[in-house]
Amino acid sequence: MALRLQERYGFRIFISSAAFAFKALFSWLSPQMWLTQVFMLPLFEMAFFVYLAKFVEPSTANIAYIAVGNAMQTASFSSIFAVANLTSEEKWQGTLIPLIATPANRFPLFLGRATFQILNGIATIAVGFIYATYIYGVDMSNANFLALSLVIVITSLAMTGFGLMLGSVGLFMRTAMIIANVFLFVGNLLCGVNFPITLLPFWLQPVSYVIPMTYGTSAARAAVLGSNILQLTPILMQEVVTGLASIVVGYLLFIGFEKLAVRRGTLEEY
Amino acid sequence: MLNFFSDPQWIIPNIIAPFVFTAVGLIFFRNASGSLALYAVLGGGMMGMWGNTLYGAGFALAFDRWNGTLEYVLGTPSRLVWIVAGRSASSAVLGLVNAIAILVVALVGFNAQLGIVDPFGFLLALVLTLASLSALGVLFCSSFLLTRSAQVMTNGLEMPIYVASGSMFPIALLPFWSHPLSLSLAPTWGIDAMRHAASAAYTGMGFGFWLDLGVVFASTIVYLAVGFWLFIVVERKARQDASLGEY
Repeated sequence: MALRLQERYGFRIFISSAAFAFKALFSWLSPQMWLTQVFMLPLFEMAFFVYLAKFVEPSTANIAYIAVGNAMQTASFSSIFAVANLTSEEKWQGTLIPLIATPANRFPLFLGRATFQILNGIATIAVGFIYATYIYGVDMSNANFLALSLVIVITSLAMTGFGLMLGSVGLFMRTAMIIANVFLFVGNLLCGVNFPITLLPFWLQPVSYVIPMTYGTSAARAAVLGSNILQLTPILMQEVVTGLASIVVGYLLFIGFEKLAVRRGTLEEY
Repeated sequence: MLNFFSDPQWIIPNIIAPFVFTAVGLIFFRNASGSLALYAVLGGGMMGMWGNTLYGAGFALAFDRWNGTLEYVLGTPSRLVWIVAGRSASSAVLGLVNAIAILVVALVGFNAQLGIVDPFGFLLALVLTLASLSALGVLFCSSFLLTRSAQVMTNGLEMPIYVASGSMFPIALLPFWSHPLSLSLAPTWGIDAMRHAASAAYTGMGFGFWLDLGVVFASTIVYLAVGFWLFIVVERKARQDASLGEY
């Protein structure tokens, strides 16, 4: 009975938190500005690396590799940058302490806050693939669109989990903006977005494997070449595991930092 | 500048994209040598300067808006444009530190080769490019006064300049229709001048070092003139509408 009640309240907190985050976002960001962001960010980031590739190694395969990688990486703007900053935004608005004072379960509360960014990430990746196809000539004739759609959804979910983990670290810091910026761009280097991770120094490669995007870029390229869901299951499972692990670690960090801050009375004073 | 030193961690967001993009560029150029490697190293330096200057300009007023001090700043008898120009200049100086840091990392960490044949010319081109980026920051900042989305606009303006200025590749690779936009940007000419000064074999856009520098100088004057005019118009509008805190 108590568990069912908790589940019901948890779901209600999740829904109200998601609705609140949506309203809060568009209270300061106009829909036009949001659309500009969704359409412009993937265009220019992809353009930078595609033209760089055209200059250095202008083979069609290389350009397709980079265009698809960058289409996936664009999800980082919403799932990493926006989500990691959730706790910091509460600090800036002065609402973190009242929020922490509520008895609401933190898990559905912050998961709800991140929900719109999951959809935002999916939309941004979709726009990225439109650019990859129609501007940079990626051949989608063999693509398995069902598998690709699943890859996009799982990547956006898993990366949002990773963003939530960074946001929990941000609870301990004065602002999560720093760490959010680092992980917003570092994916271009570590996640096989622009080149295979085997080109990275050996000691750096394990870091790539704990970021869900590494699996997302590989899976997306395979789906573009025609792999079906069954063939992609192993790599998608790895991505799901890293995403879930990020959420669990993030939740534990959040609870730990919250207790520490409440005990010291320093929630907004780091 | 004092604001920066009170919380210097803010240099990280300004510099991380140029650092990462330079590292990716150097991995792309791993088998290249001579003037090709120049593109990655100098492009990274230019991006470092632009990243810091843009964020400096973008947040020059956004922080005041967030802290509730924008109305007080606007209420002083000083013209807002001078206040912003001062902040933008200090960001430019920090941008130079960013550029040097990126160059050092590229040269030491990636063993990139950068033999500068004309050090004086290179320094001149670097300083003028920095001034032009600062002027471009002032120009953009005028529009940031009228919006609460300065942070979003700042993020959105970083990449287009990297692409359009051909920071790491020749602008000839870009679509032909985009060339007028590229040529209207001082950094396009500035980076070309720096490459000329660094390598005797570099031909680039084909206008030569001194013409490149002349265009950078002229563009900087134009950016400043338009930026000052825009600030006067925008400041007047903000005062007349009395809606500064509502944007």
